[in-house]
Formats: sequence, C-alpha cells, structure tokens
Amino acid sequence: MSCRSLRLMSLACVLLLSPLSIADNMIMGRIPLRAEIVLEYVQSSIEEHGYTIAHLQLCDGGMTDFGYKSDLYRVVFFGKIDEVRWISRDYPELVSYLPLKIAVIAEKDETLLTVLNPEALVPFFADEAIQIQLGRWQSDLESIFSDVRRQTASHGTPRS
Amino acid sequence: MMFYWIRIVTLITVAWLGVAFNIAAAPDGQALYVEHCSACHRMQGQGGIGLPLVNTKLADVSDDYLRKTIRIGRPGRVMPGFQRLSDAQVDAVVKFLRERSGTVESVFGDEPIAGDPVKGEVLYQEHCIRCHGADGSGEGKGTGVTLSRERSFLVMPASISNKGFLASAPDQMIRRVIEVGRKSSGMPASKGKLSDAEIDDLVSYVRSFEGYAHEDRSLEEDEKPTHVYESPYDFDTTVDNVKAALTGANFRIFPDRLLEQGLIDEFSVNTRQIGVRFCNFNVLYGMLKIEPRLGVVLPCRITILEREDGQVLLVVPNLRVVSRWFNNDELVGLWDRIEQTFIDIIDEVTL
Repeated sequence: MSCRSLRLMSLACVLLLSPLSIADNMIMGRIPLRAEIVLEYVQSSIEEHGYTIAHLQLCDGGMTDFGYKSDLYRVVFFGKIDEVRWISRDYPELVSYLPLKIAVIAEKDETLLTVLNPEALVPFFADEAIQIQLGRWQSDLESIFSDVRRQTASHGTPRS
Repeated sequence: MMFYWIRIVTLITVAWLGVAFNIAAAPDGQALYVEHCSACHRMQGQGGIGLPLVNTKLADVSDDYLRKTIRIGRPGRVMPGFQRLSDAQVDAVVKFLRERSGTVESVFGDEPIAGDPVKGEVLYQEHCIRCHGADGSGEGKGTGVTLSRERSFLVMPASISNKGFLASAPDQMIRRVIEVGRKSSGMPASKGKLSDAEIDDLVSYVRSFEGYAHEDRSLEEDEKPTHVYESPYDFDTTVDNVKAALTGANFRIFPDRLLEQGLIDEFSVNTRQIGVRFCNFNVLYGMLKIEPRLGVVLPCRITILEREDGQVLLVVPNLRVVSRWFNNDELVGLWDRIEQTFIDIIDEVTL
C-alpha cells in the first residue's frame, strides 16, 4: 500500500472515528472546580499527550497591573518542537496559530476551558498532510478535555 | 487495478465502521449536555455565557423549538449550530432537559398568524423596542449572566430578528411568549394589556424580520486565515521596523518571544523566528467584554520568520477570518475595523 493510501486512510480514521461532537470552531468545556486546580490538570494532561508546555500567560495579571478587573484568566501555550519546525518551514502561514493554546477562565468556583478547534483551519488547505495534522490536533485537544473532565470528576490529585 | 479496489473497499469499510460505531452507541443526554452545552449554560442550566435554561422558559417552548435551536444555533450570537450531532443525540439532549426540569413541552400549531405588521410596528415601538432594539437584534451589551464583563441587562434580550430564532419559533409560540412574558428575564406579560388582535399584529411584525436585510458579513472566497508579507529588509531591521511602527500606533510592546521558546533548550532554539507581541489594554479590555474567549487566539502578534534562503516573512492573523470563528457579530464588527490598523502597520514596515 502506498504512502498516499496510508495517508488517506489515516485521514478517514481521524475524521470518521472521532466523536461526532465537534461544536463548530471552538472546543469548550466547563469544569465544576476552581480554576487554580483545573489549570494543574490541564497542564498535566497536555504533557501526558506528548506536548511540551512552552509557557503560561497570566492575562489577568497583566490587566490587573493596568487597573482592569479580571477573574483568573490564563493561557497555556504548548506544542511539539518537530511539528512547530515543520509548520514554520512548509506552512509559514500557520505560525500565527502556534504554539497551540488553551484558555483557562475562572467563573467563580467553576472553570471554563476553551480552545480554537484546529479543524476551523481545514477549509483553507487542500493539502492532505496538513489536513491530517489539523485533525490530529483536534483529536488530541478533545482527548485532553475528556481527560480533565474525567480526572476532575473524582476531584483527585493530579498525577505528577 | 486490484490494489485500487482494495483501497476503495477498505475506505468504505472504515467509513461504515465509523458510522456504525456512532449509531450503535446509545446517546446519553446528560453526557451530551455536559460535553456540548454546560460550557455556556452551566451544569444546572443556570446560564453563563448562554442564557439560563430555567423551568419557566422550557415549559413555554416545544421540543421542536429546542431541537431546531440546537441544530441551527443563533448565527452571530455566540451559540453555534450543532450540525454534527445525530438526530438521536439531539433528541437525547432535549429529553434530558425535560427530565431535569420536570417540564413538559408546550405544543404549538404551525398555522401562521395573519396580523397587520404595519400596526404591529407601531406597537413594537411602544412596547418592545427598549429591550429588543429597532432591528430586533436585542438592545444593549453582553450576553449571558456570568463573566466579569459589562452588560446592559441581567440577561441580554433575545435577538428576535435572528435567523435561528425565526426558523425555530412558530408564530403561535411567539404569540404565547408575548402573552405570558418571560419572568426569568424580566419580559412583562401583555395579556390583558393588549387585545388579541394587537398581539397578532405584533407577531406579524416580528415575523416580518425574516425579510430584514442583515448586514452582509461574508468573506471573500480567497480570504486566508493569515496575511503573509515578504519584507524587503533583513531580519533584524524588520524586527526593529515592526516595533517602531507598533509604538507609533500607541501599542505597548511585550518582551520578544521566540516561536520555539519553551519547546526546546535555549541553545537549540531558532532565534530567527520571533513573535512581536503587542497590546493596547484599553482596547483589549473592551474586546474581552465582547468576547471573553479571545484568549484562544491572542491575535496581537506579528511573527517574523527568516527562511533558510534569507527571505524574511511577516505573518499576521487575518482578524476578519478569526473573528468569524467566534460566531459573535459584535466582535466581527470590531475586528473588521481593527484589521485595517494591522494592514497599515505592515504597510509601514514593508515600504
């Protein structure tokens, strides 16, 4: 079987076996726990999925410094170095969306997780290779959200 | 030839298995609600970014209205249309909402109401315009009931000119809402204050919003998610020019961040790929009030890449495209204007 066929099958698997639950261009989740705790679960799950956390942006801190009120609002940046290098070389028009990021937004004692669904970018690319990559990211992000939901449901301690 | 057919059969089998897998799994309404709805409507339906799904409201609507609302959403008003859910999954969510609230549906006939929309417009301006706005799109700022942002009402009045609402709500349902009001969001009842004929006129006027010419917010066919420009200068000069242009446009510039920074050790990181991040806190705060989720893109970044052949590229997100992913017309309007600022900055840098 040729590489092209394998790629086609991979794409078919990604598109057909992923849950039929992708809501438009955003993937969102609500966790009934305080944001400081959820943030730890999110970072832990990102790393378990093989990504490196590049940095944590303290959006609320920046705004507070300038006199604007905000609840806890963090953005976790993460990625895989090989993927970032490949994208910046072959698809420089995508670098604005890298590293990947998850916004962690406090709503009193609950937490809103939200991320851009990479599939929103699929219609802009005819190339199979990048479509497969965007599908993989979407699948990983869904999986990270599911992990966080499952782990926080038991209100346990994040795995180290 | 044989390999070709093997590939086709394999692909069809994979596709069939995928469909069968999803059909075979009995939809769990509660799990689907938690996964798809709770982010905005909150776990118990108290309302968050989305409106509260309170008992009094659910009792006044039909299951068909709920199903269509889930399917179509509210274009431009944050709530997406869940086109990819199966009919069985949508039914499961509706069933869960009914069971949790202990409500039964109100059933409405499909027969249209033949009031006088001209008289209805007069009544609308007298009784409805303060909350629903002249164009029926809902007056005031903000949506939902949570997140620390500015809003004019506890709950933003429904956009009754929204295509999603008009496609979901039959005339008879609109009539009932006008009659009994919405206690949960402060809408007063009109029964006893307006005659049956006047209520019919109002319904016909609301229905006439279907012919309302909404602002065309569609994109050009060839519009891309980013703008990529080639700089006529070397990498360092380009970075300096970008910073000078941003400062001139009254943006605050944050410390440089390399594209690979944090993903690999500091000795291996590519120092010729840099993100210049900038912000105007006043504008940012305003944007967050309109769309609290914009942290998922953080658009105020110009990425400068030096290619292997020495070519220097500037990459900027296309705000016109990005804003439309949020299904938020207020954000679209704002970012369509800000987009020009970005273009002007790049023009200045690459001149």
